[in-house]
Amino acid sequence: MDSGKLLKAVADSVLNMDEEGAAKYSKEALDAGIDPMAIINEGLIVGMNQAGKLFEENQYFVPELLLCSDAMYAGLNVVTPHIKKEENLYLGSVVIGVVEGDTHDIGKNLVKVMLEASGFRVYDLGRDVPAKAFVDKVREVKADLLCLSTLMTSTMDEMKKVIDLLEKENMRERVKVLVGGGPISSSFARSIGADGYGENATGAVRMAKKLLGIMQAKSL
Amino acid sequence: MTNSEKTRLINVLEGKPVDRVPVICPGGMMNMAVREVMTATGRTWPRAHIDPKDMAMLSLGVKHLGGIENVGVPFCMTVEAEALGAGVFIGTESTEPRVAEYPLKRVEEWENLPSITEDHYRVSIVLEAIRILKEKCPETPVIGNITGPISLATSLIEPMDFYRALRRKPDTALRFLDFVTDNLIFFAKAMLKAGADIINIADPSGTGEILGPWAFSKVAVPYINKITDAVEASSGYAMVHICGRLGSVLAELGKLKSPVISIDALTGLRKVKESLPDKVIMGNVSTFLLEKGTPEKVAIAAVTSIKQGAGILAPACGISPRTPLENIRAMVRAAKGERD
Repeated sequence: MDSGKLLKAVADSVLNMDEEGAAKYSKEALDAGIDPMAIINEGLIVGMNQAGKLFEENQYFVPELLLCSDAMYAGLNVVTPHIKKEENLYLGSVVIGVVEGDTHDIGKNLVKVMLEASGFRVYDLGRDVPAKAFVDKVREVKADLLCLSTLMTSTMDEMKKVIDLLEKENMRERVKVLVGGGPISSSFARSIGADGYGENATGAVRMAKKLLGIMQAKSL
Repeated sequence: MTNSEKTRLINVLEGKPVDRVPVICPGGMMNMAVREVMTATGRTWPRAHIDPKDMAMLSLGVKHLGGIENVGVPFCMTVEAEALGAGVFIGTESTEPRVAEYPLKRVEEWENLPSITEDHYRVSIVLEAIRILKEKCPETPVIGNITGPISLATSLIEPMDFYRALRRKPDTALRFLDFVTDNLIFFAKAMLKAGADIINIADPSGTGEILGPWAFSKVAVPYINKITDAVEASSGYAMVHICGRLGSVLAELGKLKSPVISIDALTGLRKVKESLPDKVIMGNVSTFLLEKGTPEKVAIAAVTSIKQGAGILAPACGISPRTPLENIRAMVRAAKGERD
């Protein structure tokens, strides 16, 4: 196969939820001498972006998107050991988690998958995360972006608590804050002083790029 | 002629005429144990999750102080999960109990789980609370709340792993769901025996928005229907609450056998009623509005829901403990046709 066909086979494997195919064609692409970064950017991420598009169009749902991301990671596992300078891989670093009091993390996990697929380094604190843990992690990894999620109206106020704590620690200027989840709206995001609101996983990625001044990928 | 609270709601469920729309809040994830009621009754979370008398009295307090026309227990979605082996954090005065530890690492391990029994301590607490409520208010509908099959399954294993298994190992995932559903049916029947009139099934992790129409109709609907059938065979009534945007599964909702479908505020009630003319649509006063809005705005939203075809007026989903009682009363007055 020529390199164009190989990269398309990588992308198609991701789109078709085919873990084995993604690993196999990524390996073949490496063997064919294709630059590992090209395999990621023009193969794996293209496939994941196409999956994200189908998700937005209500053709793929959570289970499908998960399996696509499994395939993408299968390919990444093959390719990343061949990348010399790992830091060049990332557009920026993101801390993400579900605020304290809530254990619903489906949405958060999807946003994480899509952010990783788009080239961010993501530190996932999981769910039911106390405000202090978010702030500590942002400081530790010098995060560019903090993503907060909740599905419950009863825990929306926890988001404000995190933002207030960032301010108290004089860290608010250093990090952009993006919020999302079932009961959240853009007006709520503004009202608690967040920088942005993500209406779904792909919307969150768009907003993340906008907040950090990153050009939108041409392949989207 | 005015109906008793119980007759009115049952008539709605049976498709018979009523004097006006009933206004309820079933319990479970949709409960109204707000802070003001806890203060007034002296029955507070988290104790009310583990003491049958406190549980019953708190539910009764909601009815008396808020004017809601039912009683319903429990106030969370963790009872069945705990009885099936999950580790549960019982919550605080303002947060619900939640699953803290899954008993399963892999779906295949479901055969090692215990089954629900009537004497599991939290199951027995709920059943006792139902008995107390039945005795205290025989003319008020008593609603027993159970967790929907997919939400219970995803309380026993990491949800993402369950969703993966649905696609990767469907046979195993469906056998696990059979087991989960059989246990839910056992719990629902025990609730009916204890005196519950209605079983409300809420399945927030099994929405069409998450699963997509194919999996929703092939996985969520048949299992919910199995519970509905069992409830009706035991002379009870079933209600089903579906969260999230319904757009992608509007057509599939018609396959649910429950006479009542309770919906979230994200989908317009009129649209749902139009596509499901034979169902009683329950809802859908915004819970955000109930917490943050004024009584006037709540009243307008309630009247709008009724005008759009709500057969039962209710909050759209789980409400916050900080919700002012005055807003709940405004919703109730709207159902009763009283002007503010």
